[in-house]
Amino acid sequence: MEDDDDNFFSSLNRPVNNFQNRLRNAPVDDDGDVPIRDAPLFFQEDEDETPLQQLIRHWMNERHAPDILPTEEDLLSRLLDHIRSQSETVQLLRSDPSSSEEEHFRIMLAQTEVERVKFIVRSYLRTRLFKIEKYARFIMTNPEVQQRLSESETDHARRFARLTDQHFYHSVLQSLPDTQQTLDDQPPFVPPMVTEPEKTRAVFVHARQNCAPVRLPDGTGLEMQKGHISLTPYATVEQLIARGEVELV
Amino acid sequence: MIFYTCIADLVMALPQSLRSSVTPLELELIASEQLVEIVPLISMEKTAFISGAYGPLRPPNKSRIPLWMATNLKQKKKCQIVPPDWLSVDFLQDRLNQETSQQEFSNLPFRFTEIAKVILDVASDDVENADKVRSLLKDLREARQAKSRDGLQKLDHSELTLSNLCAMEINEIRPFFVQAMGVLTQLVREPTAE
Repeated sequence: MEDDDDNFFSSLNRPVNNFQNRLRNAPVDDDGDVPIRDAPLFFQEDEDETPLQQLIRHWMNERHAPDILPTEEDLLSRLLDHIRSQSETVQLLRSDPSSSEEEHFRIMLAQTEVERVKFIVRSYLRTRLFKIEKYARFIMTNPEVQQRLSESETDHARRFARLTDQHFYHSVLQSLPDTQQTLDDQPPFVPPMVTEPEKTRAVFVHARQNCAPVRLPDGTGLEMQKGHISLTPYATVEQLIARGEVELV
Repeated sequence: MIFYTCIADLVMALPQSLRSSVTPLELELIASEQLVEIVPLISMEKTAFISGAYGPLRPPNKSRIPLWMATNLKQKKKCQIVPPDWLSVDFLQDRLNQETSQQEFSNLPFRFTEIAKVILDVASDDVENADKVRSLLKDLREARQAKSRDGLQKLDHSELTLSNLCAMEINEIRPFFVQAMGVLTQLVREPTAE
């Protein structure tokens, strides 16, 4: 398990920044020339989101949205770099036999945080994976959706769609009459055979700022003020989510 | 079509229970990123973490660190947690009065349930009058729950405003409200179809 994770995180070969040095030298960083971000205030919201807070927001959006949202590849790789360098620092400090009790606590806390962030990264990716497999066929017939996926995700969708198609063909479809062999029928009065994201599904939105007006299904308009919470169909707020004006909660 | 329902069951990227909702534990994980004030019992230099730089910790000076870190240190008896202002008998009593006298939900921090739970679980000795705080939280919960159930009457197919509802409460009503709105959407859509 542990090995799998390590491979997973190190498989994205990216340059390691000197974060471990920063961590080690943290006490002398007070002169301010090293860009360490100061912790945000307790209930300060939204402004100056840290990369981790951004990922948490995208993670929750992805979990609640019926559709696949644009991939956050850059953010993800930045955080993966960060996770890796923090882990390396921890390893380095651990192998140092002269580490003090204080050092010991710092190692323990850094390690705990690494595990927390890994959990979020993993859950975020798995949520996308779930949707990709569920909508594989839909994705492969829809270039607009493919743009929202990373390269490896599109690749996975393609292979998954092909695999299931072949499986269905070999196990059942080949013995059916020709007219019943297709997998993309759109017969009247029943849902189409290709599973599509159900965009009318309701979601809970929380306005992160004052939002541009949107048109509700009943024809009226809604202009959400910052902090507003609403239950409304996903299609209504799709654009606001894309622009980051609202988040799903 | 039957085959496609089969696929849905085969897909294991995300367990069934996590597909339409989030768990209270995940909400707790998110809430634990928020900062709390602590009185450290150990000293630690300023240290860079993934979520930001925290410290230096110098007893007995107060410091602000993420809740998960505070919980961790508290469990090792290396700090005391200073509960947020709203986690007090006075504040909660005031909110409870509002809750029972007004129609709207009273204004509480978005993740107050999770934070209160975490702090009361690990640091009830740092909370003044913890038992009273607990019972007030419970009363608040019940008062607010009754209101969100009433909110269901106002549900239509297009929008429902739920100001001041908090994360845990949203999560609790989610499955039912989402489904109900889905049914209402289908009902209005029917006449225009075909």
